[in-house]
Amino acid sequence: MNDPDRAVWLEGVSKRFGSHNAVSDLDFEVPRGSIYGLLGPNGSGKTTTIRMIMGILHPDEGRVSLFGGKPDLVRRARVGYLPEERGVYRKMKVIDLLVFLGEIRGVPRSVARARALGWLDRLDLGAWSGRRVEDLSKGMQQKVQFVGTVIHEPDLLILDEPFSGLDPINQDVLESIVLDLNANGTTILLSTHLMDQAERLCRRVCLISRSRKVLDEDLRTLRARERRGVVAVDFTGPDRWLSSPDIQAVERVGGVLHLVLSDPGAHQAVLRRAIDEGAEILRFDLVEPRLHEIFVRHVGRSNAGLLPS
Amino acid sequence: MSFRNVWAVIRREYLQRVRSRWFVFSTVGGPIFLFAVLAVPAWLRGGPDRDRPPIAIVDGTDALYDRLADDLVAAGFPVERARWTSTVVDTLRRRAAAGEIDGFIMLDQFTLESGDAVLYVNRRPSVVQRGAIRSAIVRAALEVQLEQQGVDVEAMLSGGGLAVEMLSAEGTQDGEPRFLVAYVGAFLLYMVILLHAVAVMRATLEEKTSRIVEVVISSMEPWHLMLGKVLGVGGVALTQLVVWALTGALIVKSGLPTLIAGGSAVGATGPGGIGAEPGPALDLMSAIPDTGLVALFVGYFVFGFFIYSGLYAAVGAMCSTDEEAQQAQLPLVLFLVVPIVFVLQVIENPSDPVSVGLSLFPLFSPILMWARIAGGSVPAWQIGLSFVLMAAAILAIAWIAGRIYKVGILMTGKRPTLSELWRWVREA
Repeated sequence: MNDPDRAVWLEGVSKRFGSHNAVSDLDFEVPRGSIYGLLGPNGSGKTTTIRMIMGILHPDEGRVSLFGGKPDLVRRARVGYLPEERGVYRKMKVIDLLVFLGEIRGVPRSVARARALGWLDRLDLGAWSGRRVEDLSKGMQQKVQFVGTVIHEPDLLILDEPFSGLDPINQDVLESIVLDLNANGTTILLSTHLMDQAERLCRRVCLISRSRKVLDEDLRTLRARERRGVVAVDFTGPDRWLSSPDIQAVERVGGVLHLVLSDPGAHQAVLRRAIDEGAEILRFDLVEPRLHEIFVRHVGRSNAGLLPS
Repeated sequence: MSFRNVWAVIRREYLQRVRSRWFVFSTVGGPIFLFAVLAVPAWLRGGPDRDRPPIAIVDGTDALYDRLADDLVAAGFPVERARWTSTVVDTLRRRAAAGEIDGFIMLDQFTLESGDAVLYVNRRPSVVQRGAIRSAIVRAALEVQLEQQGVDVEAMLSGGGLAVEMLSAEGTQDGEPRFLVAYVGAFLLYMVILLHAVAVMRATLEEKTSRIVEVVISSMEPWHLMLGKVLGVGGVALTQLVVWALTGALIVKSGLPTLIAGGSAVGATGPGGIGAEPGPALDLMSAIPDTGLVALFVGYFVFGFFIYSGLYAAVGAMCSTDEEAQQAQLPLVLFLVVPIVFVLQVIENPSDPVSVGLSLFPLFSPILMWARIAGGSVPAWQIGLSFVLMAAAILAIAWIAGRIYKVGILMTGKRPTLSELWRWVREA
């Protein structure tokens, strides 16, 4: 249990609400220093899982450990938690709210104030520190909430569906800050249903569907494994080689052709044959499967598996 | 660590509220309003007015002037004596026209016999002013006449004296019952407890609906958050009470009530009345509660506030909208209204077993026990017992409400039924 390499560790965790299984027999671990994505459609149990990690809910079965121990207040104070349903004290001044959020996690007021002002400057909100939170736009409020999440310099950042509804520029700013924090040693646990975001940020992902874990893998390994043997090509010259038995189907996608290979390893043979036949190859890319496709593929498969045969 | 959390919550809650416009308005506005309620009518009745030119009194009887002058000055009319001469009316008319005097009163033998007199003025006096002057004249005439018969008019007019000798041991340790203090105080307790308990409910509901609560709860025990809110709002309430008490004490010290009472005494005797009743003047003076009573008021407020704010926090936590909360708090309001319904009966029959029983019930104690104490006779052991029972109730409520709060604060959707609530309490 006392494992310094794991920031979060779940073993056989289940949680029911009445007759509804929110989380079933879930295992996963978030290595220290990683950016870990908890992915799944809405209602798949991500938020319940995070609430158990934060000690807000208690699992019916199984064990949740945080920094190698129970998620008690002392350990939770080392976590920066940005819930999906996040709010603010609308009537408070921005700076007072941030100092308060630091204070309840044990940061002395003067330290919290200095840090808050630094963060607000960094996020172009310096001029707003004395204003009431309700005077800020929704996007600015999200940035303030983010500052509130990191004001106590947590070792682990848990972000539940972060940055939703932010404009692309601010989303970029916050994502680069998250990557920055991670580079400085902060572990990140990110829950999202936005596969693009997960692809940009995560090093390892855990897919949940209908309260169960579907897969849990390093993102690069996952992609390599899920590669289906699709090649994007652009060429001039003869095209007879396209009727090779190695090529199952040819689809036109925009300006390029997608060749679906009968065997994922056949791309070398196909390329050789095309050159032999005199085609001038302008482009020949192995198409990486998008996380989105993998996700749909697996969630579909797992859902099908739940049906009685 | 955990107390630091509670402290942070208390601090936030307290400062946010004390800095709010509403707080400043009600804290400063309260005493001003009370002062206005007391002082303005007195002033309208013709209270002290030093700038007003005197009224000249021409006393043809040579017996009335001293008494009448005293009464009129007390009622706020400066007076001066004018000698009876053959040209006095002309002289006074000229002086009145020049604004040196406000007018003049002619008294003669008929005044002594029937109370008739003539008032010459530039401006028509108000009904109240006229009544005040008339009753002062009648009173002076009566006093002169009666004293010649050897009657102690002063003692008779101040209502005689009905001494009460207790035959039983009950309540001998206390002074006169003070209905006004007991009733107004009980009502005030009802209002401040309800007002601030509802504030706790609203704050809880706001945290819940704005979703800030999840962040806060992830850093502290829900029970600590609830405690912090209750203490923070309670601190605001106490601050307000202390400000009110201090301004009240200052007003009393400044002698203002005496001035107002002096002004209103004449008005109360009114046209035709010759001080048959002490009027509000005496009530006002006796209505100023002593320090012990004020301390008990604060004590009962604090305990009552803890009892009800715990319950209201639970209601706030179990609801998701204002409308729901308004409905869910109704049973609690009933518990506060019942004592108000019974308060008169309890003040009138403080030793009645029903009164004793009701006032010892912890949910009613804050209002009824204090009213009984203010009203007159409560043995010390009952006061002590009421505090012990309230303390027990606070612990029980904190335990139950804390559990409801813990579960409810993260719940969304429809309000729980009673059986669901019970499950929360058991399982939390």
